[in-house]
This record gives sequence, C-alpha cells and structure tokens, in this order.
Amino acid sequence: MRIIFLPTEIFLSFSIQKILYDESSLKQTASHTTQASSDSEQSLISRAKNGDERAFTQLVRNYEQTVWGFAYKLCRNQEKAEESFQDTFINVYRKLNQFDGRSKFSTWLYSIVANNCLMNRRKRKIEELLESLDEAPDVHDETIQKQLASWDDSPIETVINGEMRTALDEAIQQLPDDYKAVFVLRDLEEKTAEETAKILQLTVPAVKSRLRRSRIFLRHKLHNYMKHE
Amino acid sequence: MKHSIKHLHSGSCADIYRHLCENLDSQFETEECKRIREHIEQCDTCSALLDSLKKTVYLYKQETVPAMPKTLEKKLFAVIKLKKKQKHSPGK
Repeated sequence: MRIIFLPTEIFLSFSIQKILYDESSLKQTASHTTQASSDSEQSLISRAKNGDERAFTQLVRNYEQTVWGFAYKLCRNQEKAEESFQDTFINVYRKLNQFDGRSKFSTWLYSIVANNCLMNRRKRKIEELLESLDEAPDVHDETIQKQLASWDDSPIETVINGEMRTALDEAIQQLPDDYKAVFVLRDLEEKTAEETAKILQLTVPAVKSRLRRSRIFLRHKLHNYMKHE
Repeated sequence: MKHSIKHLHSGSCADIYRHLCENLDSQFETEECKRIREHIEQCDTCSALLDSLKKTVYLYKQETVPAMPKTLEKKLFAVIKLKKKQKHSPGK
C-alpha cells in the first residue's frame, strides 16, 4: 500500500478544520457582528453619498487594505498597484451615487479594481493554448508521469526560494488578465465562483473554465522548478 | 491499496480530470464526488495531479504582498480634495 503524506494536504486539511471550528464556535457572535457592521456600512455609504467627508474617509479606511492587496496581486508591481489603488477610490468618490446596494459594497469595489486592470482584454495566442488544456493528458504518457513525479518528490517548503518567486511571477504574468483575475479572486482572495462571476461580469461556467485552465497552466509552468529524479 | 494506473482505463481519468482541476477542496458529499474520491484513492496519477494542483495554489498563497505605502492614503485624499475644488471652481 502506498501512502503519500504531502505537506500541502496536511496544511489544507488543518486549515479547513480550523475554519470549520472557528465558524462553528463564532457563528452566533459573527451573525450579530455581521448585522451590526452591515448596518454601520450602509449608514457610512448613505452619509458619504450625501457629501459627509468623514464618512467617506472611514469607508476608504475600512477597505484600503483589501483594495491594496487585490490591486497588488493583480498588477504584481508596486507602481501599478499604487495607480490602481488611487484610480479605484477616485472612481468610488465619483460614482458612489451609482452604487445601489444590490450587491455587497466589497463586490462593487473588487469590480472597480478588476476593471482598472482589464482594460486591454483581447484574445491572444496564450488563450488558445489555455483552451487546449481542457483536453485531459494521456495518463500513460511517460513525460506526464515524470512531471507529476517531480511534484511528488519536492518538499514544498524547500522550493520556495528566490528563483521560485521569479518563476511564480513570470508564470502568472503570462496569463491573460481576466484569467489572472479569476485565479486571484478564487484561489488567493477565496471568493466563491458566484461572487467572482459578479465581480468580473462573467458567467459561473466561464469562471470555472478560466480557473481550471489557469491552475493547469501555472502548474505546467512551475514543474521545471520541482525536484527531478 | 492503490492500483497501478495500468489497471485503470484512461477514459475514467480523463473524466476525472476536469472535475479535479475545478474542485481542489471538494468535500465529496455528492454521489459524483464520492465516485471521484474513490477513483483518486485508486489512481496514483490522478492523486499526483490533484497534489500538484494544490501545491501550485499553495505556492501562490505563500507570496507576500508588500505593506501599503504610508503616503498612499494621504496622496489619495489630496487628489480627491483637488478634484472637489476643481468641481466647485467657477468656470470648471
């Protein structure tokens, strides 16, 4: 019997258990807190719409870390992230009256950040390659098996070095912007497929196919950095 | 006991492939998910594929975002103030 112990799986398993425990023990408190923070958020938005500067300032402060984190993960460049941060909140200032409260305020904010980064969406060769990833690989192919074995043999903590960081950056930069946005929202920001679809104005099946292709593409790009036998 | 992939039809792996790439942390509650879990337990290749995809996401999660520059908020409010001033200036 072959048992594979993988640090990633252990880590993910602990994370899931911790989340389930935290969610269960804090359920009641969270429900009150969410209601209260939602009320105060609605009041902040309403006051900011009426020109209350202090309310607008507070709204910015409540969300600036979220916007900064998401902008940086999408732009992957300090200067562009700063620009995107600035553009996002200037748009919020200009268009706050257009926010009708039908979606969450954070969803609206995420969509503004994403729109800033998705200005130049066009079909590129890379998208054709990504679409070809829908085909399952031949599991009997020796190259495929060697590639997978290289991941199996690599203790995950030891591969995160400077070279790997560059590789991670180069790989994700090759993704078209809308694919990158789906990957960042679903896997890094941990948004649901439904919320990601709302933010990027895509259908849920489109989010799922982009996520699937992005994950396979990135895995393929990184396998050279995994240990080879 | 895991079977060698030679004992499995490549067709069933292909069937699993799409699902695996979409649902890395599926809780396997539905009948379809149970079937997939059973397949993964039996198939070294699909198990390795799932592991490599999870590791890919894990590696990206380890990347750190630099702290937001301290001056950024200040700059933003200065720009907004300026825009407000322009909006209310006569002739603008």
